[in-house]
Amino acid sequence: MNESVNVTRRVALKASAAGACAIALGGGMVLAREADAREPLPASDSTKSQYGFLTALSRCSGCGRCVEACREGNALPDDVPDRRKVSSFQRDRGRTFFISTSCMHCAEPSCMSVCPAGAIYKDENGLVRVNDDRCIGCKYCYQACPYEVPHYSSVAMDKCDACQKAGVKVGEEDPYCVRACKFGALKFGPIEELLAVTNGAAEPIAKPNGPSCLVLGTE
Amino acid sequence: MELQFVWGWQPALYLFLGGMGAGAFVMAAVLYLKGKAKSSLVMSASMWAAAVSLMVGLLLLLMELITPVRGLLMWQSFSHFTSWMTYGAWGAFGAIVVFCASALLAMPPVDRWLTAHGTWYAAHGSAVRSTLAVIGMALGVFVAFYTGMLLMSAGSVPLWDTPLLPALFTVSAFDTGVALVEIVTVALAKKDAVSANAKRLMERSVVVLVLVEVLVMVAFFGTLLAPGASDAVAAAASASATELLSGQLAVWFWGLVAVAGLALPLVMAVRGLCAVEHPAEGADDASAAEAEAPSSRRSRFDAVTFVGAAGALVGGCALRFLILAAGVHADVVSETIFRMIN
Repeated sequence: MNESVNVTRRVALKASAAGACAIALGGGMVLAREADAREPLPASDSTKSQYGFLTALSRCSGCGRCVEACREGNALPDDVPDRRKVSSFQRDRGRTFFISTSCMHCAEPSCMSVCPAGAIYKDENGLVRVNDDRCIGCKYCYQACPYEVPHYSSVAMDKCDACQKAGVKVGEEDPYCVRACKFGALKFGPIEELLAVTNGAAEPIAKPNGPSCLVLGTE
Repeated sequence: MELQFVWGWQPALYLFLGGMGAGAFVMAAVLYLKGKAKSSLVMSASMWAAAVSLMVGLLLLLMELITPVRGLLMWQSFSHFTSWMTYGAWGAFGAIVVFCASALLAMPPVDRWLTAHGTWYAAHGSAVRSTLAVIGMALGVFVAFYTGMLLMSAGSVPLWDTPLLPALFTVSAFDTGVALVEIVTVALAKKDAVSANAKRLMERSVVVLVLVEVLVMVAFFGTLLAPGASDAVAAAASASATELLSGQLAVWFWGLVAVAGLALPLVMAVRGLCAVEHPAEGADDASAAEAEAPSSRRSRFDAVTFVGAAGALVGGCALRFLILAAGVHADVVSETIFRMIN
């Protein structure tokens, strides 16, 4: 890991010098044309429904299959950190509970508002997505995220996109993590439907930014 | 407590250099506008030092990016105006342009050449320089303030999420800026000494700024440690403050920020003021004071100024590193889960 950081900095140094020369020589025009040719960003008000996750405390065994399925399904390189994590919590009376979390796909994502490049957006399903072609990797989104979700590859910020870049179709298939869970501890769907399934018993995982991740208690 | 290292030494040094450069330009511009620094060499060198500080800081920030080349495309990469980083990038860019222009025009050979070869500049050169000084001061104040706003506007780090942080960084930026101009003054003392009035203004500025910084710092930590809310955010704020004041970072905080960065400059500034206003005091007798050569008095004054200024720079730099390192997130998820399982 340390090695990859060093390589990144060395590349960064070379690239910054190259970039300065490019601008000085008029290369900025070429870069500008390249930038204009990229995929346009969807409007931030394009969200039609809000999808999210439901995680059941009493069902999660902490096996970590969801984490592995996420890595495999999204073909994450070795130097990219896990997009999903399993945390454990011990009850006062002894029993340990597990919970699997990833990006909360917040209703009001602070990562999106602090991104200087406008590289983070919400799609029509309310999923918070990253445009790799725009991300400069300033890591401001990590500081702004209350859940410490953003991680960084050698290309851009990396986080859960509910397997959208891996080709999973929202509404037709579940993300790889949900499919991998043998205990039914993870569900994915419109947040209102997930709440209805639990008869309103699930509650948001926290308050900041309106996270689209519900937790079902110990039943 | 696990420290914050996602933003490492480059952003920390940028926050220091950016603030110091902005503060140095403001001090140099004040001296220019008040006409107290007769020396154009010192003025020009101070403005170049301010511009170079800001440029090096931005270069460091560029190094921290994953894709620095894309970062250079400012019109694209800093186009989202809901982010303080966008405002900061453009503000710092504008500040560099104005700082460099001011520094260039303050150089004696450039000033002489322009005055000799341009009748318009000969008539309006002073007004141009004054206008640039005022614009540069406004940009300098903005950049100094922005270094704190960048952290505060992240919003999810309780240590940073208070208006007292931009206040602290702004005062510290001016404090370190004055220190940088003082060091330039000392370095160029033999070539081109500034007036006693200018020196006195800088010493007085140090005294006022250190006292204000202490007050802001007390309010900053007082707010973080105030009893009241018992949620995860308050716990993280308290943990960060405790880490700085009595935890693993305390040695650095008290040694570098409090002693070297605040106490030392204050003592040295007061000593400098006393030496300027009562030059005979401290001497064994009047004849000894008279016998002391002016150059000896000046070098003693310079040494006092240099030690105080160096302390201020060390303290200002350490402050940014420590505030960044202690800036951890609140564990808001654990708060919910523990409530649900217990």
